[in-house]
Amino acid sequence: MAKPAVLAGLVVIIALLPVLVSSHYIWHILILTFIYIIAAVSLRTITISGQFPLAHAAFMGIGAYLAGMASKWLGWSPWLTIPSAALVTMGIGMLIGYPFARLRALYYAMGSLFFGIGVIYMVYAGGTWTGGYAGLVGIGPMLGGSKIAHYYFFLGLALLSTLALYRFEFSRIGTTLKAIAQSHLVASSVGINEGWYRVLAVGMGCFFAGLAGAGYAHYNTVLSPASFNFMATLWLVMYVLIGGIESFAGPIIGTAILVLLPEFARDLKEYSPYISAGILLIVVYLMPRGLVSLPKLVMLWYSERKKGKKIAHVSGN
Amino acid sequence: MFLETKGLTKQFGGLTAVNQFDMHVNKGEIVGLIGPNGAGKTTLFNLITGVIRLTKGQIIFDGEDITGKKPHQVAELGISRTFQLNPLFADFTVLQNVSASFHLHPRSSLLDIYFNTKTYRRNEAYILEQSLEILGLVGLDKVKDELAKNLPHGYQKMLGIARALAVKPKLLLLDEPIAGMNPDEIEFTMTGIEKTKQQGTTIVVVEHNMRIMDLCDRVVVINFGQKIAEGLPKEVRENKEVTRAYFGDEHVT
Repeated sequence: MAKPAVLAGLVVIIALLPVLVSSHYIWHILILTFIYIIAAVSLRTITISGQFPLAHAAFMGIGAYLAGMASKWLGWSPWLTIPSAALVTMGIGMLIGYPFARLRALYYAMGSLFFGIGVIYMVYAGGTWTGGYAGLVGIGPMLGGSKIAHYYFFLGLALLSTLALYRFEFSRIGTTLKAIAQSHLVASSVGINEGWYRVLAVGMGCFFAGLAGAGYAHYNTVLSPASFNFMATLWLVMYVLIGGIESFAGPIIGTAILVLLPEFARDLKEYSPYISAGILLIVVYLMPRGLVSLPKLVMLWYSERKKGKKIAHVSGN
Repeated sequence: MFLETKGLTKQFGGLTAVNQFDMHVNKGEIVGLIGPNGAGKTTLFNLITGVIRLTKGQIIFDGEDITGKKPHQVAELGISRTFQLNPLFADFTVLQNVSASFHLHPRSSLLDIYFNTKTYRRNEAYILEQSLEILGLVGLDKVKDELAKNLPHGYQKMLGIARALAVKPKLLLLDEPIAGMNPDEIEFTMTGIEKTKQQGTTIVVVEHNMRIMDLCDRVVVINFGQKIAEGLPKEVRENKEVTRAYFGDEHVT
């Protein structure tokens, strides 16, 4: 397969893009795409264990606010706030994940949903500390505020995070998580500590959600609780679902398309929830494996068509 | 005594599924656990393996009190099992089902796994080799790359046993291993169970099909959650209590 070649080519194009396109706006959109790719792929890491949390943006928010507050109130450097915020988010995720590991399906969804809402209320209640409703301003910038430096920083961060999560999923740990998702009864009967593995998946996912959030805080230098509310979580879920929940590339493609698409059709931006819902329906009906499966489906359709023509030709004689 | 249950009791609300159940299994034996539908056989397995919590009683395995232990801890101590409704890792291949079940022996640390160290690669190579050996033993080597969910029923049952063997159990609990199988498959499975016993594994088998009695060293009969008979297969077959439990009073002569 030429897959690695295509992948490498894509990375090179993305890396060269700032040289070819010197629009700060496009750079900005791509930086956001990189950040959301980290968040969406880290959500996938949790879903492969059979858990589908509805609080992932809230974990991003925890990372963002921790980094922002450490920067603003303690004057910490971004190089310190970003990793430590990610680690603390991971810790909080695992702490919350422990009792949640016993919940299944709808109960898990409801529990995590209320946790996410609770996080936002805590931000509201935080007063001056968190900036409350008005948002947190005055977060220290990084990389001298240079847009292009941010572009490469977040491109690198997204690549490294994706690689780290890829390694996690395609090692025995990922296999074990997928086994638990298929039958926790069987998994525990062969000695797999189901609860611990579920917590581990949540911890890994939350680390990278926190990392994405903390990076976002220093990039944006302003935080608003609305960026991490239930709608934001739903968007992350949409990225995973539309891209394709069964494959690792799914959330990456889903994020890229759903973040970039509205930017290319800016007149329609206010309709983007409807458009996304429309895309979701089309994906569910036509490509249940998500947008990732599109090339394969097109190839299949093309070869069928060719075959069909041949048959028509033969019968025409 | 290898496995011993003392006064095992499980109540589901007002229903007593298992009542003051005493049973023992000696090392190296095959013990049959038989009884009519709803007698409490599967509940007993679920109690021993920690899937459900017991109401009262004590379970001793290999000299250790395992009462209240979680399923994965019970597996760590060397008890593995199959399930009556036979859930599988349905979307894994046959080979993946077995290799994923090699979680305990050998066990790689998370860091070894993540960083793909020499230890991990050596362990994985060993697991692959062992998995293929087990699949050969249960006759599934020719379908090793099929998805588990696409296998016929009999093969799925064998895969359940293969998976349980991956735990390298000292005690193997089989829940209706030959139910729904055709005569050839039954023959094959019974030979497999016999072989497993010869390798030193102690086995408790729950079954409706009386053919299984041919394999058993001892049989325990349970009805309404209570032990009603125990002994050699021959003795149990002739036991009036047992005939009554299965066929009702009028058949007892």
